[in-house]
Amino acid sequence: MIAQRAGTTALRRVVTAGKPNAFFNTNIAKLGLASSSLSSTTQQTRPVATQHLTPSEAQSILAKQRLQRPVSPHLDIYDKQQTWFGGSAWQRITGASFSGALYVFATAYLVAPLAGWHLESASLAAAMAGLPVAAKGGLKFLLAWPFVFHATNGVRHLLFDIGVGFKRRTIVQTGWYLWGASIVGGLYLAFFL
Amino acid sequence: MASIARSALLRQVATAGPVPRQVIASSSRALPVATFHTSARRNLLPPLPQKVEGTVNDPAPVPEPSPSHGSYHWTFDRLVAASLIPLTVTPFAAGSLNPTLDALLCATILIHSHTGFQSIIIDYVPTWRMPRVRKLFNWGLKAATAVVGLALYEFETTDVGLVETVKRVWTA
Amino acid sequence: MAALRSTSTRALLASARPSSLRIAAAGPIRGFAQLADGAQQSNVAAGDQPAAKLKTFQIYRWNPDQPTEKPRMQSYTLDLNKTGPMVLDALIRIKNELDPTLTFRRSCREGICGSCAMNINGTNTLACLCRIPNEDSSEMKIYPLPHTYVVKDLVPDLTQFYKQYKSIKPYLQRDTPSPDGKEYRQTKEDRKKLDGLYECILCACCSTSCPSYWWNSEEYLGPAILLQSYRWIVDSRDERTAQRKDALNNSMSLYRCHTILNCTRTCPKGLNPGLAIAKIKKEMAFS
Repeated sequence: MIAQRAGTTALRRVVTAGKPNAFFNTNIAKLGLASSSLSSTTQQTRPVATQHLTPSEAQSILAKQRLQRPVSPHLDIYDKQQTWFGGSAWQRITGASFSGALYVFATAYLVAPLAGWHLESASLAAAMAGLPVAAKGGLKFLLAWPFVFHATNGVRHLLFDIGVGFKRRTIVQTGWYLWGASIVGGLYLAFFL
Repeated sequence: MASIARSALLRQVATAGPVPRQVIASSSRALPVATFHTSARRNLLPPLPQKVEGTVNDPAPVPEPSPSHGSYHWTFDRLVAASLIPLTVTPFAAGSLNPTLDALLCATILIHSHTGFQSIIIDYVPTWRMPRVRKLFNWGLKAATAVVGLALYEFETTDVGLVETVKRVWTA
Repeated sequence: MAALRSTSTRALLASARPSSLRIAAAGPIRGFAQLADGAQQSNVAAGDQPAAKLKTFQIYRWNPDQPTEKPRMQSYTLDLNKTGPMVLDALIRIKNELDPTLTFRRSCREGICGSCAMNINGTNTLACLCRIPNEDSSEMKIYPLPHTYVVKDLVPDLTQFYKQYKSIKPYLQRDTPSPDGKEYRQTKEDRKKLDGLYECILCACCSTSCPSYWWNSEEYLGPAILLQSYRWIVDSRDERTAQRKDALNNSMSLYRCHTILNCTRTCPKGLNPGLAIAKIKKEMAFS
């Protein structure tokens, strides 16, 4: 495309200035070659032998080719901001972790009297009280951060659902605010409540 | 006191089938892990070799309309999620939740968890790819939710309630 | 001549170049600008040649003729001073001068055909609308559209995408003839609803940026097709709105959208597929 355009520009320049240059000369050779081959024969000559195929044969070759095609990379190469820090992905991860924990705890609670475990609120509170301060804070943050994240991002998603906040800048900004807010909120809940 | 599960008979019924319970526990635990793996590497659902149904000029098949899996489901999901907002804000504002609201909170969280897991299953265990595994997961999830529902009922009726428990553990 | 003069003044105003370069700026900047061109450029001193601005492009390669070979990344280094400003210019130059086997789609080179959609430095965009960042010397990574079957190098197979497009019946469907027998009229407000929808060129950048579409492209339509679907749902002249909505009313076609919004962030035309999908969901919420 560019070479072509440059060629025509050069041609025009030569016509106006009447001063051939090195570039034009190389091109004129090609042009002459093209026109002579065109005038000498109307038929194309191909150095490669071709083979006639019926549509169904062509289709089967295509189907065979399709089976060999690789899938282009996706998660590994896509913008990390959007894949690894995507609010939606972490909404799912935090939600599934919480719900999974709830399901495991509830099932264990049902089995507890049979298995002889103590999962009543009183014993849970006692177990928590028995932990050292650092472990207590860490455990609380581990619970509080996903909670705040899921809650705030949940509100964000509900706003999306009513059609609010779809500007490109808003999406990016609220995405980052979300991380900041959830970490600050998680720390607050863990250490000041 | 009035709990169904504290009576020995019902306790036995609830825990009668040890095998399904194990399935439930493992499936509910496996889900979050599975979710994580999809965002880690392409181990889950490695793409199959390309196959094209029909010719390139045929349109992709259009499924039958089913609002209960489509629009109604979506609307219900959003309403449940939205109703969780006041239910989570109230305990922070008021310091506690009365037993009725606490039970309501538990029920809403259960439904919200169920639909959440459901959409995870729909996403990562697609019917077009593994219909039988999908069925297994669906029924596993239903059974798990039923068990958890029972457990939450028991927890709500015999213990101090969800909000109060969290509060006690938090301030311990 | 007038046009040339205005270009050169603009170039001067923009970059405040030394006046010796004035005529060079007016001539063809790309490609062969460096060739000595008789008297016109004689005042450009040879020593004024700017230092080579090298940029390395890492490009995904896979050849269907050697199907057992794994896809690999190949590096090409270009001097940005001799290359046009866009990634497509660089690709064309690589193909012309460094490696004629490099394969990619391109046509209009001005962002209207959607052929050169690819993943550049992590986001999907049109190579012809993507400027080569020349302030840093970091390598540029160019991949085909993510999670597509690769035909060759940067050429993805979009068969499924087009089949899905066909499945939403992207044409006007109506039974009642127009009142004046001439054309289907529309109020200005109704026409305005199509703005931001009809501009979509179906380059597939948004659909292939969507993780939901990555996992479920068999059944989920993806942002581009849903935006097109909405374009016909809101069209006041179309009379199959209910059927169009019914076609989406199942768990897969529309509702695999979890408002991840990579689509809106990536659209090279600045459209908002995420918003279009949200509007469909809202319209269908109680139907």
